[in-house]
Amino acid sequence: MFAYYLSLAVASFKRNPGLTALMVFAIALGISVCMITLSSYRAAARNPAGDRGAILFAPSIDSWDPEDPFEENEKELAPTQLTYRDARGLYASSIPDRKVIMYKAGGIYSRDDKGMDPEYLATRMTTKDFFAMFEVPFLYGGAWDAKADEGPEPVVVLSKESNQKAFGGANSVGRTVRWHDREFRVIGVLDDWEPVPKYFDVSNGSFSDMEGAYIPFAWGPLLELGSDGNTNCWKTETIDSFQAFLNSECIWFHAWFEIREPAKQQAFRQFLDDYVLEQKKHGRFPRPLNNYLYDVGGWLERNKVVEDDNKAMLVLAFAFLVVCLVNTVGLLLAKFLNAAPAAGVRRALGASRRDIFWQHLTESGVVALAGGITGGLLGLGGILALRGWYGRFVDDAQRALPVDPTNFMLAIAIAIIAGVLAGLYPAWRIGRAAPASYLKVQ
Amino acid sequence: MAIRPILSALLRNRAGALLVAIQISITLAIVVNAVYVTQQRVEKIGRPTGLDDQNIFSFSTEGFDKDFDFPAMVRADLALLREMPGVIDAAPMQQIPLSGSGSSSGYFSLPNEKGTESPANTFWTDEHGINALGAKLSGGTTFDASAVKYLDEYPQFLQPGAIVSQGFAEALFPKQNALGKTFYDNHSTPHKIVGVIEHMHGSWVGWDKVDRVILSPMVGPKPRTRYIVRTQPGEIDRVMAAAEVALRQRDSNRVIGKLRKMSDQKMASYAGDSLMAVTLTVVTGLVLVFSALGIFGLATFNVNTRTRQIGTRRAVGARRRDIVRHFMTENWLITTLGVVVGCCLALAAGFWLSTHFGLPRLDLYYLVGGVLILWTVGQLAAWQPSLKAAKVSPSMATRNV
Repeated sequence: MFAYYLSLAVASFKRNPGLTALMVFAIALGISVCMITLSSYRAAARNPAGDRGAILFAPSIDSWDPEDPFEENEKELAPTQLTYRDARGLYASSIPDRKVIMYKAGGIYSRDDKGMDPEYLATRMTTKDFFAMFEVPFLYGGAWDAKADEGPEPVVVLSKESNQKAFGGANSVGRTVRWHDREFRVIGVLDDWEPVPKYFDVSNGSFSDMEGAYIPFAWGPLLELGSDGNTNCWKTETIDSFQAFLNSECIWFHAWFEIREPAKQQAFRQFLDDYVLEQKKHGRFPRPLNNYLYDVGGWLERNKVVEDDNKAMLVLAFAFLVVCLVNTVGLLLAKFLNAAPAAGVRRALGASRRDIFWQHLTESGVVALAGGITGGLLGLGGILALRGWYGRFVDDAQRALPVDPTNFMLAIAIAIIAGVLAGLYPAWRIGRAAPASYLKVQ
Repeated sequence: MAIRPILSALLRNRAGALLVAIQISITLAIVVNAVYVTQQRVEKIGRPTGLDDQNIFSFSTEGFDKDFDFPAMVRADLALLREMPGVIDAAPMQQIPLSGSGSSSGYFSLPNEKGTESPANTFWTDEHGINALGAKLSGGTTFDASAVKYLDEYPQFLQPGAIVSQGFAEALFPKQNALGKTFYDNHSTPHKIVGVIEHMHGSWVGWDKVDRVILSPMVGPKPRTRYIVRTQPGEIDRVMAAAEVALRQRDSNRVIGKLRKMSDQKMASYAGDSLMAVTLTVVTGLVLVFSALGIFGLATFNVNTRTRQIGTRRAVGARRRDIVRHFMTENWLITTLGVVVGCCLALAAGFWLSTHFGLPRLDLYYLVGGVLILWTVGQLAAWQPSLKAAKVSPSMATRNV
């Protein structure tokens, strides 16, 4: 029966090719705008940690100015980065299954044998669990151990890209690079790895490039390396040395904790409060007790990775789709009523109201499918055009506006659902019409 | 003109009329809000920066030999850049205006964190900074070359003597001439204002205090700085290519970062705003076209299904003009129904956008404008079908009976 309805639909399209094209075009335009905004929204709204997002936690403790809250507009929220002292303090807890403290630094890498052009690389100063916690894939070698963190030992993990630059992509484990006037031994090389959004450090850009190298955290204070990312300070203090900077209330560190059991998660929340209460005794944390422990989803939301503009555009796009659909309802109605005599004949020959209804609903479904595919392709073209335009001056255009087959399928699915919804009333209306009145005029 | 026959004709095809009214109401809600938001973004993007932003490029340089002479490197580099054909001026700078990255602190009009307070975006440069930025001094002079300090490490304070933007000057010393006045940082270090810039944007274009800027005479800290280079109009691409080669030739023992045009950095900083403006403009245009199509389609459909009725009216004495008026009025009623509902929708949507998405509250002038536009679009779209209706011959009344 469905095949017969399809053939009837095709015959109907041939009768009014202009009107049919207009309907397909209306749905296509609505769908394409939806697909473009949906692509950018979904890229930002992704939780790249997957299931592990529920057991990875980022702390946010309120070490800020007693006079001014950290967020001007959302006064109840706490800072999103940590002071050096607090990063160390939280890292000392034995409750979490895994723990990481880190910040973004940088410097020029070179090779003593002049095998590479000296080059600046963004570098993540981090601790050993980083790689296991964020499921970082290795091409060669592996992560460093606790001893390397304590030493600290001069070891480095290179990204695939920087290994390509420094060693032509060869297995470089055991070889050395020069960084801040020291030799660092390559202990591991990463495979392609680019979580989007870059959830473990959204303070320095949700879609920013990955770092080119990873070095044990303790080298940072030892080599007196400040942050190459965001640093925020509120307190009037004399900072006349790097040690004074580390002891200051300036925040530039991130911490992540993997805590699998709910009881331990609860214990760790308690630990955060106890830690802050203890610090208050030493005259720190002048604001009321106000600590948060976010899982990955909560953290992305807290940091507004999905921007308000993203949401507003998505809402407007769907409102536009509704206009396109209402238009389509009108066009379908006109088209079906126009062909009412044919339906009258089919009714007179024994087709039930339900048959007529399904026949016409099939026709709207086919229009919707055509509109969906056309709209998906238009949307794809739009995404590529926008990326081409913005890619000239925005580094992260590709990551912020991805080409993702899922979005294409989603666009088609939305089109079909919408098209069928649009067809409901016209199909019902035409099925309801009495056959006699149409036969009479013939 | 009697409304009753029009109303009763309308009620016969309620579904079609209702569909068009719904379409118009949503269209109004979209158009009004989209145009309003677009307008604000376009204004924001178009603000004057106070800089010659189309003719400036910048890049970083960092020496890596342990004991290299940092001031000598900077001076030699800049001398070379300033001598290049097509270059107006060049200067060192630790951060680049409009780039999205920079540093800021709070400052006071009196010592001990007293008096008026204002944050400012701080830039470090030398005596060529003002000219290399293309900024205009409204008072005072640029730095004295001897005041410029080459830093060995990250400084705790700004250097003595500051050039400030009018925006900062006004915030700290309202309604006074700030030139020659002294302001203080949070350690009560005094800074004398030696020059005032007419207007200048700092690093973060989304900051509501983007026009509060301080230039301080220092360079570095060793081993790293950025340079900004201002070229003659139209020369920027040529100079960019030549500058990198020339600097590498002069001294290859350093890393030169990516050369970036300030115009590109500006575009990147406004990328979100411009994407929003472009999307909304396209959607606004399309949604208006669709509404016109919907109205046109319905009017045509009504005319086609009512030829006999029109013919009868003509036969009993209605003039062509009456027929046109009938359909135009019918259409106007539908549009007006849509517009009335649309006003409520537009206000609700505007309220919702402002509370949920931090967008500014809808300005009512836009609503009035939207209503006028939709009335016009509605009447224009119904014009051709109405004329077609008027051409129906009175003899139609007698056909097919």
